[in-house]
Amino acid sequence: MITCDEFFIEFSDYLENQVSPEVRQELELHLSQCRACRVLYDSSSKTVKIVTESRSFELPQSVSEPIIERVMAKLRSEHS
Amino acid sequence: MIRDLQKSYNNRPKNHAGHSATVDVRLSQECKTDSRNKNVFFAMEDSRTCAEGTQRHTLTSRQSLQSYGESMSFFTEIRQDDRFGPFVSFTEALGFIPRLLHAQTLLPRAIEAQAKLESAVRLKDGAISRIQKERILLCIAANRKNDYCMDVDSTVLSSLGVSDGQIDNLLNDYRQADLSACELASLQFCLKLSRHAASVRCEDIDALRACGFRDEAILEVVVMTALALYRCTLAVGLGPEPDFASRKLPSPRIDQQRGITLNGLLSGAHEVIQRKGPYLPAPYLSPITFAPFAVVQQSHGFIPNFFRAQTLRPDLLEAELEAIGRILLPEDALTRVQKECILLTVSAANLNSYCVAMHCNLLRGLGLPSEEGDQVAVDHHESNLSAPDKALLDFAVKLGTHDPDFSRGSVVKLQTLGFTEEQILECVVVTALNNFANTLQMGLGIEPDFAPPAVFEASKAKLSGASLTPIQREGAVHRPNALQDLDAELVVEAQAGKLDAFEELTRRHTQLIYRTLMAILGNPSDAQDAMQDTLLSAFKHLRGFQGRSKFSTWLVSIAKNAALQRLRGRKNFESLDEGQYKEDQDFRPRQVRAWQDNPEQCYSKSEIQQLVETGILELPAIYRIVVMLRDVEQLSTDEVARQLGLTVPAVKTRLLRGRLMLREWLSPHFTASTKGAVQ
Repeated sequence: MITCDEFFIEFSDYLENQVSPEVRQELELHLSQCRACRVLYDSSSKTVKIVTESRSFELPQSVSEPIIERVMAKLRSEHS
Repeated sequence: MIRDLQKSYNNRPKNHAGHSATVDVRLSQECKTDSRNKNVFFAMEDSRTCAEGTQRHTLTSRQSLQSYGESMSFFTEIRQDDRFGPFVSFTEALGFIPRLLHAQTLLPRAIEAQAKLESAVRLKDGAISRIQKERILLCIAANRKNDYCMDVDSTVLSSLGVSDGQIDNLLNDYRQADLSACELASLQFCLKLSRHAASVRCEDIDALRACGFRDEAILEVVVMTALALYRCTLAVGLGPEPDFASRKLPSPRIDQQRGITLNGLLSGAHEVIQRKGPYLPAPYLSPITFAPFAVVQQSHGFIPNFFRAQTLRPDLLEAELEAIGRILLPEDALTRVQKECILLTVSAANLNSYCVAMHCNLLRGLGLPSEEGDQVAVDHHESNLSAPDKALLDFAVKLGTHDPDFSRGSVVKLQTLGFTEEQILECVVVTALNNFANTLQMGLGIEPDFAPPAVFEASKAKLSGASLTPIQREGAVHRPNALQDLDAELVVEAQAGKLDAFEELTRRHTQLIYRTLMAILGNPSDAQDAMQDTLLSAFKHLRGFQGRSKFSTWLVSIAKNAALQRLRGRKNFESLDEGQYKEDQDFRPRQVRAWQDNPEQCYSKSEIQQLVETGILELPAIYRIVVMLRDVEQLSTDEVARQLGLTVPAVKTRLLRGRLMLREWLSPHFTASTKGAVQ
């Protein structure tokens, strides 16, 4: 079975679901035996899910519209 | 047998200079009859009137040309010590040192690379026998009409006890060579792979399995084909005189082998739904236990599928990696960027999307902007490379695609442009290595690591090796969906001065711009101010946008500049440079407490948003921007790499660190007190 260090080398691609079937098999065998790596994988994939679904840093239209309008007014006055 | 070979090699006809008597005759004939060479000589005469710098190069070329009279190839040969390792191993294995090696003595490391490959792949029995391997080499040499390789390979086969009759049949039509059905199938496969690599499919591998080939044997067949093309490319590029010239080579040679390849294997290949690769199983090999992978991990930041797909034979992998290291890493002749551009351009000409994507990424890592690398892949003539570098790439494409116009004149032409013999020699070797890699990738069906800037379609290209770049072969290249720019039409209108079109573009990308600015500046009011700067700057420079990248990629670079300009005005300027975070390389997570099953249900949406935003703003800037673009804006890793001008592996590394830091930060809020957690 692979070691935790070896698991960690492949971890990034595993999190992105980008490993070959042979590598996946090794990683999953390791996960079934190693609680620390299992916790790491579980919490990391939950982190990614939470972040992607959070809709963070969305600029509300009420803020973005005045900026765009200001810029466009400036450009239109320069190009008229 | 080896003793016989040594004897016949020593007894070959020689002139007073110790060289074969046929050499000078052939050289003088070549000079008299080759009109392209004449043109080069005339061009050199004319160049006396050119600028001083050019004239200096011309003199170098003349001196080199004089020395060719004594050389046995296109390149000056340096006497090497008989104890030179590769020479010793070739003498032991073959009984002589092929002139193909002597022709590379200006770059001993290139000879070492070839020796590594040949020792591991060719010069010993493996899953297929030594004689089978030599028959593959000879058939491909005959199919390529490569006189040098036909001469040396037929002599080596003869030394291994193969009859003259069979050798003649292999040279003319291998189907008449009295071989088993199994070996005939393998030769047919090799010829298809060597001639039309892009059309090889999983079904071809299945056909070999049905003949009784084990996976290890199939891997060897593929690698031998790649090696045959490596040697043929070298032989064309280096122009060595024959080692023996003892056998009358068939002429004119009948092209039946090509016929059967096309009829037997190509039909309908493009219409069927293709099964994905890799075609052979690849057992897991760890960079911790397999040292060569540790080196790859270090240099690439990951293990490319190209290497993973060959793990059935770690010994071959090790030899390949050593050869690649000797050819590509030193910068004593060509630079890394020049070499990567050669690999990129010839891969594109060979319609190899995998290798194109790989080298685009490596070029980005060497500091070449994404759009410039993409342009070199699609058509290097339209790139910003210097004229000599474009000529170098033309040379490589001509050689790499087996263009019949390639000649000594091609070498001389590069010399007149100021390239040294070592540099041109290295270009030949890199091109040969490229053909080795392209063949392996297509023969093993290796899946891409990254999205290519363009997909090269074999079905729409002329299959005969034309020297045109893919974009010139109509329809042979298209951008994959992920890279097609949906903004293209609006951009054209905006560039023509239509402000409404520009306004629509800004609305489409408001969030992307804002998130980029937030990631760099870290506070909303600064980001909003910088947003205005970004939009004004984008409009001002819009005409300069040439469509080499997606419009959104270009906008991000404008936003990045606007934000960095603001940052520089701050006292606590936080660089986007990797430097200060190097110590984090061994970043390992500390929190090992399990999280709850559905952590997001513990808080309201706005609370979660608040937690995530605070957590992201806590990250160092270089990780923050990657997490922002990949996880918040949800761009693909490849797009993030393009937008930030980073390699995909660099983005992956930063993304992982950013995610793990964020996980540490979020952990106290989501860990399970008792129930529901992963155990």
